[in-house]
Amino acid sequence: MKSALRSTPLLMIVPSLLLAMFIIGYPIIDLAWTSLQEVSRFGQLRGFNGWDNFAEVFSDPLFYGSLWRTVIWTVAVVGGTLLLSLPIALILNDEFYGRGLARVIIMLPWAISLTMTAVVWRWGLNGRAGLLNATLMDLHLIAEPVEWLATAPMAFATEILIGILVSIPFTTTIFLGGLSSMPQDAYEASMVDGAKRWDQLRYLTLPLMRPFINIAIVLNVIYVFNSLPIIWVMTEGGPANGTDILVTYLYKLAFRFGQLGKASAISLIMFGVLLVFTIIYVVMVMRAEDDGGAAGEASK
Amino acid sequence: MMFQKWKALAFSAIAAGLLGAAAPVQAQTQVNFTVAEYSSKTGPYFEEVAAAFEKQNPDIHINLQVVPWDTLLQRLTTDIAGGTAPDISIIGTRWLLDFAGQGIAEPVDAYLTPEFKSTFIDTFMAPSVIDGKIMGLPVAASARAMMVNMDLFDKAGVKPPTNWDEFYAAAKKLAAVPDTFAFGLQGKEIETDAYYYYSLWTHGGDILKADGTSGLDTPEALEAVKLYKTMIDEGLTQPSPTNYTREDVFNMFKQGKLGMIFTFPMLIPQIKAEAPDLHYQILPFPEGKAKATYGVTDTLMVFSSSKVKDAAWKFIEFAYKDEWRSKFDHGEGFLPVTKNVAAEPYYTTDPDIAGFAAGLPYAKFAPTIANWEEIADTTVRTMQQIYLGQVAPEEALKGAAAEINKIRGL
Repeated sequence: MKSALRSTPLLMIVPSLLLAMFIIGYPIIDLAWTSLQEVSRFGQLRGFNGWDNFAEVFSDPLFYGSLWRTVIWTVAVVGGTLLLSLPIALILNDEFYGRGLARVIIMLPWAISLTMTAVVWRWGLNGRAGLLNATLMDLHLIAEPVEWLATAPMAFATEILIGILVSIPFTTTIFLGGLSSMPQDAYEASMVDGAKRWDQLRYLTLPLMRPFINIAIVLNVIYVFNSLPIIWVMTEGGPANGTDILVTYLYKLAFRFGQLGKASAISLIMFGVLLVFTIIYVVMVMRAEDDGGAAGEASK
Repeated sequence: MMFQKWKALAFSAIAAGLLGAAAPVQAQTQVNFTVAEYSSKTGPYFEEVAAAFEKQNPDIHINLQVVPWDTLLQRLTTDIAGGTAPDISIIGTRWLLDFAGQGIAEPVDAYLTPEFKSTFIDTFMAPSVIDGKIMGLPVAASARAMMVNMDLFDKAGVKPPTNWDEFYAAAKKLAAVPDTFAFGLQGKEIETDAYYYYSLWTHGGDILKADGTSGLDTPEALEAVKLYKTMIDEGLTQPSPTNYTREDVFNMFKQGKLGMIFTFPMLIPQIKAEAPDLHYQILPFPEGKAKATYGVTDTLMVFSSSKVKDAAWKFIEFAYKDEWRSKFDHGEGFLPVTKNVAAEPYYTTDPDIAGFAAGLPYAKFAPTIANWEEIADTTVRTMQQIYLGQVAPEEALKGAAAEINKIRGL
C-alpha cells in the first residue's frame, strides 16, 4: 500500500516525461543516426558508412580553426557580458531619478531580433556608407573611414562586441533579480559594524550573488556557443573563413555544400560539448539549493 | 482573390452535392511548380502565365510556389528528402549535375519536339546537356560586361580601355580624380570568385584544365590575380576589397565613386531608377590573351518523381511562347534564351542590352561538375587571402588547386 502510494507521483509524471523524452530525444537520435550514414546532396540516406563522417571532420583543418574561434567567441562574449552587466545591474538597483527609463533603455535591445540587430550593424559598419564611420569622422576622431569588417581580426572583434551588447539585457535581468532578493538586514548589520560601500560589495554582495553569476555564465555559454545570426549576417564566416565558428561552418556545410552527413557529425560534437555544460549547470543548481537562501529563489 | 477561389470551390461543391453522385466531378490535374523569385515581378508574372494557361486547359491547375533564391536550394532539399518534391522547378544550372546525378531530374529529350528545341539559342542549351541527355530547359540567362563611368573618364582625360594594359593605364589616371576610385573590386561573399574568373578567362586561363584538374595553378591564373593584387596595393581599387560585396561595389558605382566595374544587365534598371544622371557605358571585358564573358543560366527542370509530366510539359510549352518569353525577359532584365525574342529590335539596338549580348558568342559558363559550390567557396577563400596579403599569390593558388583537385577526387 505504502509503496503504491509512493509510486503514484512517479506514475503521474510518466506521460509528460515520455513526451519530453520524445521531443528532446527524437532529434538527437535522428541526428546521431544521420551522422553515421552516407547522406546524398538532397538529404536522402544512402546507408551506413561507419565513422567516415567523423573521420572527415577530424581531418579538416577548418574544423579546428572554427573550434578554436568558437572557444574565443564564447569566452570573450560571455566574459565581457558578465564584466559589464554586473556594474550595470548594481547601478540600476540603486534608487535614482529616471531609473525606470534607464532600465527600459538597457532592456530595449532584447526586444529586437538578433538577425535584425546584425543587419543594422552590417549597414552601420559599412566602410564608405556606414553611419559609424560618418559619425566618427564628423567628430574628427578618425580622418579616414575604417573598414571594420575587411580583415578577420577586426571583424571578429567587432562581432564579439556586438555579441556582448545583445547579451547584456538578459544577464542584467538575472543580476537584478538576484540583487533584489538580497537580505536587507545583512546590509544594515554591516553598516552598524562600519562597513564601507566597497566592503559591502566585496564581502556581502559578490558572495551572495555567486549562484546568480554561475547561472548567468552557464546560460550565456549555451546561447552564445550556438549563436548563428550575428556572424552569419555580418561576414558569413569570412573573409577567408577568419570569423567562422562551428555553427556558421556547420550551416555552410549543410546548406551550401550539401554535406549533410559531415554537418550532422559536427552538430553532434557540438551537442556533446554543450551536454558537459548542462551537467555543470545541473550540478550548480543542486549545490546552490543545498546552500539554500538566495539561490533557492533563483531556481523558482 | 483567395476568397473568391474558395467561394467558387464551395459553390461547385454544393452544386455537385445537389446533382448527386451521378454528376461527373471534373478531376483537375495538379501541377506543382516551384518558381525562383528573381524580383518582385516574378510572382505576378507566373501567376499571369498560369491563369492564361488554365483558361485554355481547364483540366489542369498550376500550383505556384514562389521561393526566394537564397533559400531555394535548401527548400528543394527538404522537399525532396521529405518526399514532397514539386513537378517542375526553376533551379540554378550549376546545381543541375547534382540533381541529374541523384536521379532527381528527368531527361526531357522524349518530350522535346525538334520544332520546340529549335527555338532555343544553342549556347544556352549546352549547359543543360549532361551525358548527351537534355536534363532541363534554359529559363533565364545573363552575361557579364564592364561598365564605366564616362564622367570620370572625361575628367581623367582617358578613353575606356579595350585590353588589360589600357585598363591598368586608365586606372592610374582615374586614380588622380579626387574622392573616387578607379576600379571597384568585389572581395566579399557571393560571386567573389566570379570577379576573378573575368580576369582569369580573359588572361587565357580557365577554371578547369582539359584533363579536368583545377586551372588555378597555371601561369595565366597567377597573372590574372597578380593584376588585381597590384591594383589593390597601388590604391587603384577601393580600399579593403574584402569588405565589399557585389552590391556594395555596385552602390558605389551608382554614387559615381567608381570609374570601372564588372557587372550584370540587372544593374541597368537599378541605375535608371536610382541614378538617372549617371553617364555610363557598357563595354566588353578588357582583352588579354582571350575574349570572354561569364554566361549564367538558370534551368527549368522536370522532377523524375512527378506523376503528371505530360500536363507539366503542356504548361512548359505554353510558357515558352514568344509573347510570354518576351514579357519575362523584358521584365526581369535578362538576355533572351530563345531565338525569336533575341531577334527583337530591343535586344539588338539598345546599347545597354546589346553591350551585354555582344559577349554571348564567346561566353564561358561555370563548369557543370559535382560539388561546384564547395569549389567556388575554395576560390573565394583563396582570393580573400591574396587580397588581404595573408598568403603570396603563387603559393595560395597552388594550395587552392590542390584543394579543388581533392574535392573533385582527382
